[in-house]
Amino acid sequence: MSSSDPAVRCDAVSRRYGERLALDRVSLQVQPGERVLLTGGNGAGKTTLLRMLATLLRPHEGTVTVAGHPLPREARRVRPLIGYLGHEPLVYPGLTAGENLELYAALHGAPAARVVEALELVGLERRRGGVASELSRGMRQRLALARAVLHRPQILLLDEPTTGLDDDGRERLRGLLASHEGTALISTHEPEWFAPLGVRSVQLAEGQLA
Amino acid sequence: MRAYRALLRKDLLLEWRGRELVPAMLAFVLGAMVLVRFGLGGETLAGGTRAATGLLWVVVVFTSMLALVRSFAQEREHGIWDGLLSTPADRSAIWAARATATFLFLALTQAVALPLFWLFFLQEGRSPSIPVLVAALLLADLGVAMLGSLLAGLATHVRAREVLLPVMFLPFMLPLVTVAVRLTVDTISPQTSGLHTSQGLGFLALYDTIFGLLGWALFEYVVED
Amino acid sequence: MVIGSQRARPDGATVAATATAVLMALALGMIFFYVPTDVDQGYSQRIFYFHVPIALTTYTLFVWGAVNAARYLWRRDQSLDLKSYIPMHLGVIFGSLTLATGSIWARISWGHWWFWGDTQLTTFLIIFLFNCAYFMLRFSVEPGERRATYSAVYALLGVGLIPLSVLGVRFAQRNELIHPITFNSNGANMDGSMFLTFLVALAAMLSLAVTMYLVELRGKRIDDRIRAIRRLAEARA
Repeated sequence: MSSSDPAVRCDAVSRRYGERLALDRVSLQVQPGERVLLTGGNGAGKTTLLRMLATLLRPHEGTVTVAGHPLPREARRVRPLIGYLGHEPLVYPGLTAGENLELYAALHGAPAARVVEALELVGLERRRGGVASELSRGMRQRLALARAVLHRPQILLLDEPTTGLDDDGRERLRGLLASHEGTALISTHEPEWFAPLGVRSVQLAEGQLA
Repeated sequence: MRAYRALLRKDLLLEWRGRELVPAMLAFVLGAMVLVRFGLGGETLAGGTRAATGLLWVVVVFTSMLALVRSFAQEREHGIWDGLLSTPADRSAIWAARATATFLFLALTQAVALPLFWLFFLQEGRSPSIPVLVAALLLADLGVAMLGSLLAGLATHVRAREVLLPVMFLPFMLPLVTVAVRLTVDTISPQTSGLHTSQGLGFLALYDTIFGLLGWALFEYVVED
Repeated sequence: MVIGSQRARPDGATVAATATAVLMALALGMIFFYVPTDVDQGYSQRIFYFHVPIALTTYTLFVWGAVNAARYLWRRDQSLDLKSYIPMHLGVIFGSLTLATGSIWARISWGHWWFWGDTQLTTFLIIFLFNCAYFMLRFSVEPGERRATYSAVYALLGVGLIPLSVLGVRFAQRNELIHPITFNSNGANMDGSMFLTFLVALAAMLSLAVTMYLVELRGKRIDDRIRAIRRLAEARA
C-alpha cells in the first residue's frame, strides 16, 4: 500500500441477492484516517457494503479496493488490516470471553497478550472467565468490539456498534474511536451520537448513495 | 498451524462442555448394534459373523452421518462464519481442524462400539482379524472426516440441509464400504493372503489421499461467498 | 445487451441435429440389418450397440461437466456454470438409459435383471446416485453464484469418486469378471463389421448428446435474457 491509496475505494459497485439489488452502482472513497458514517433505513445496503469491505461478499459488478488491494483478488492482504463488527457478536456462546478472544488472536496471528488488552479496552477484564452465552446482550456487544479491535486493525468496519451498549459501554466505544488513528466506516441509526468525533455522513437508500 | 490448533482446541472444548455429539453417537451405535443383532435373527446364524461384520460398516457409516450433520452447527446457528472468514486465517485450517475433530469423535465412538461388536457377535465363532479391522476403521474414519467436513461446509447454506447432506454423502460411501467390508470379512477365513489385505488398506489410504487433497483445495470455494 | 447477435452466427444446434439424424439412421440400419448376429449370445446381443455407446456417452458428459466446473471455479464466469450443469443433467438421462439397457442385457445374458457381481454395472450405479445427489444439491440452493460454486465443487468431487468406484468395486469382486470385455489392451475385442457398427453407434450417441447440449444451452440462455430484460423493464418502471 502506498500512502496515496485511499483506505476504501468503491467504483460503481453492485451486489445482488437473487434478483434483488442490494447495492446499486455505489461509488465511494474514504481517505486514510477518515471516519465515515453510513446511514439509511433498514435494507438500504449498509450491512452489504460493510460485509463486502470485510471480504465476506464479492462484488457482482464494479471494483472495490481496500488500502490499494483490489477485492476479492487480494482479500488475503486486506484481512489483516480490517476489524469487522457484525450484527451477531461472532463469538462461540459455549466458550468464555477469554477463550473466544484467544481463538481470534490465533486466527489473526496476533500475540496472546492482546487478549487482556482488548478486554480492558471494553471493560470486560473481570468477565474473562464468563461463558459468552451467559453474558448480557450489552456485555456480548462489548466482547464483539474487543474481538474486532484485538489485532489493532487500520480500518474498522463497524455495523451498528452502539446496539445494546449501556452508557459506560458507549463511552468506551467513543473513547476507542477517538484514540483509533486509522480509518473507520460505521453504520448507524443515530448519527448525532457520533457527530462529536468529526465524521462524514454518507446516506444509502435502496442500495444507492443518496 | 497456530490457527489450526486453536480451532481444534475450540471444537474439542465445545464438545467437552456441551457433550452434544459423542454421547448421541454412542447411544446411536448401541441401538444400531442391538437392531442388527435382532435383524440377524437373534440367534447365531450360519455366516452370522460375515453378515455382522458387513453390517458393522453400515452402522459406522450411519453413525458418522450424525457427526456430519452437526458439523459447523455453531458457526451456522450463531453466524460465526463471518467472524472466522474476516480473519486472515487459512480456510483450509478451518477444514482441517473440523476434520480432525470429527475423526477423533468417530474414533472415540468406535472405541466403545468395537468391544460391543465383539460382545454381541464374535464371542463364539470365528472373528475377523482385529488389527486389520481397527486399521480399516481408522483409515475409513479419516476419509469420512475429511470428505464429510467439506460436504458439511457445502451444506451450510442449503435448504433442507439435514436431508441433503446424507444424500450427498452416501454415494461416496459406496466404494469405501464395498472395499472395507470385503477386506475385513475376508480376514475371517484363515487363508486370506496378506497381499489382498494390504491392497485393501492401500485402497483406503488412496481414498483418504484423494479426498484429503480435494477437501483441502476446495473448502475455500465452499465457504467464501 | 445485444439480442440480435445470435442470428449472425451459424446455428450449431441445427447442424448437430442434422448430423445426429443421419448418424442415428445409419446406426440403426447397421445394427439391425448389417452387423452379423453374435455367435454366442444371439440376436439380442445387438443391444450391445446401444448399451455401450450410451454408457461411454454418459462418462463423456460427466467429464465434460467436471472440466467446465473446474473452469468455473477458476474464472467465475456464469456461462461456464451452465456449461457444467447441462452435461451433468444430460448425464442423468443417458445414465438412466445405460442402467435400463444394461439391465435388459443382464436379463438376456445372465437371466437376472440386475447382477451385483458385475463391476461396471455396480460402478455405474454409484455414479448415477452421485449424479442424482448433484441435482438435489443444485435445486436446494437459490440460483446465483453460490449455487454455481456448490455445483462445481460437488461435480469435482465426482472426479475423485469415479476412479475410486472402479477400483473399489473391482477389488471387492476380483474373481468375477462376468461383464463382457469389449476392449482389452490389444484393442477392440470385435471383428471388423462389429467394430464399425459400434463406432457409428457411438458417433450417433455422442452427436445426440451434443445436439441436446446445444439446444438446452440455447434455451437456458434465452431464459436468462428474458430475466435480464424483465429486470431492466422493472428498473425503468
